[in-house]
Amino acid sequence: MKLAPLIILLFFLAGCQTLPVIKEPATPEKSNLACPFPFLREPATLIHAIEVHMAGGAKSAIIGITSVNTATRELSCAIMTAEGMVLFEARERAGMLEVSRALPPFDAPAFAQNMINDIKLIFSPPEGNPQKAGFLPTDETICRWRDQNSAIIDVLQDGKDKVEIKRYSACGKLKRRIKFSGQAGNHYQNIELHARELVNYTLLMKLIEVQPGNKQEKATHR
Amino acid sequence: MRSGKLSLVFILCVIFAAAVFSEAFAAKDGFEELRKNAAEIKTIQAAFIQTKSMKILAKPLISEGLFYFAVPYSFRWEYKKPLRSVVINHQGETKRYIFSGGKMVEDTSGGVQAMKIVLGEITSWMSGKFDQNPSFRAALKEKGEFTQIIMTPTAKNMEGMIEKIVITLSSKDKAVKTVNIIESASAQTRIDFKNTLINKPLPESIFQDVE
Repeated sequence: MKLAPLIILLFFLAGCQTLPVIKEPATPEKSNLACPFPFLREPATLIHAIEVHMAGGAKSAIIGITSVNTATRELSCAIMTAEGMVLFEARERAGMLEVSRALPPFDAPAFAQNMINDIKLIFSPPEGNPQKAGFLPTDETICRWRDQNSAIIDVLQDGKDKVEIKRYSACGKLKRRIKFSGQAGNHYQNIELHARELVNYTLLMKLIEVQPGNKQEKATHR
Repeated sequence: MRSGKLSLVFILCVIFAAAVFSEAFAAKDGFEELRKNAAEIKTIQAAFIQTKSMKILAKPLISEGLFYFAVPYSFRWEYKKPLRSVVINHQGETKRYIFSGGKMVEDTSGGVQAMKIVLGEITSWMSGKFDQNPSFRAALKEKGEFTQIIMTPTAKNMEGMIEKIVITLSSKDKAVKTVNIIESASAQTRIDFKNTLINKPLPESIFQDVE
């Protein structure tokens, strides 16, 4: 019987994985190292055509609207069909999530928070300073943050325009992988999000339109 | 997805039912006249521009597409941009296709199957029962050079989704000009039809093939 806790501990440890090793540069270089920044710098509303690929092969397509103000950390989002039917609408302000519309299957309790977390991961820089900054053995520049839930966020960039964000659980299990590919520095032209959950899913996001964020409007947004 | 698809079909029904009856519309005779003359309509095709307004959007999102209808129940709603998709109902089967990997593929998310449930509703619209569908309360209104049919949902499953649907017909040629789906005070979908052709033969492949 005394072995039971040990077996459980071993089981959980077995689920943990080792994070990629970051080679930190010597001090003079470190001060010059700029973290990759694929995040929004100004308030903006982005409209994407999104292909949803669920585990098991199910496919669907929706239009995603995301309005983000990284300065105030406020965001609004909506999901609608090509036919214009709004299936989901939510907003986060001062850390409070307000869901104004959620039709099935977007009415699951955890859906709204997971979606907001995904949007933040894509468009908003992690809070605070990175814990580590340096290079991967494959020479990509990488910065690593640990968020308030102890999840680990890596933002990495190769020598060109390839930028990725990876979020790991506290014990190093890869949960999200986001790949940006765009033209002329527009990271949001094409975004791939791979999620590893109980039911894995992939979102292929193609930019339709960017609208400038209206700071006044955002402040009064319902 | 089910409720969303249900409501979508309701909207589709309203729109093409309106189109079916538009040419034959005679406001003074009301819904009875609409029902009586509907039998003369065999096919419809039209282009449309959809304007989606929401509070989250600084300016409306514009979509464009084509609409086809053939008696008794076949329809095709095709969105060309910004998101390519096609909804086809033909011979008792409803399918939705999306553009994926460079080609049109069937939407296999399962939600489209819910459309079958409301095909009974479509039958109701197709037989000219604008004012007899228990899901909507219909009213006619003359507004200068336009005539409006105002559909107010009465069904529980419409609550919080659609406030009303306003179909505007030209009093001159009786063609459907716009369909305005008002979801809330800050969200609406307006569909403007143009180049409408009535009773022009349509190949059956329109309701079978998706490129």
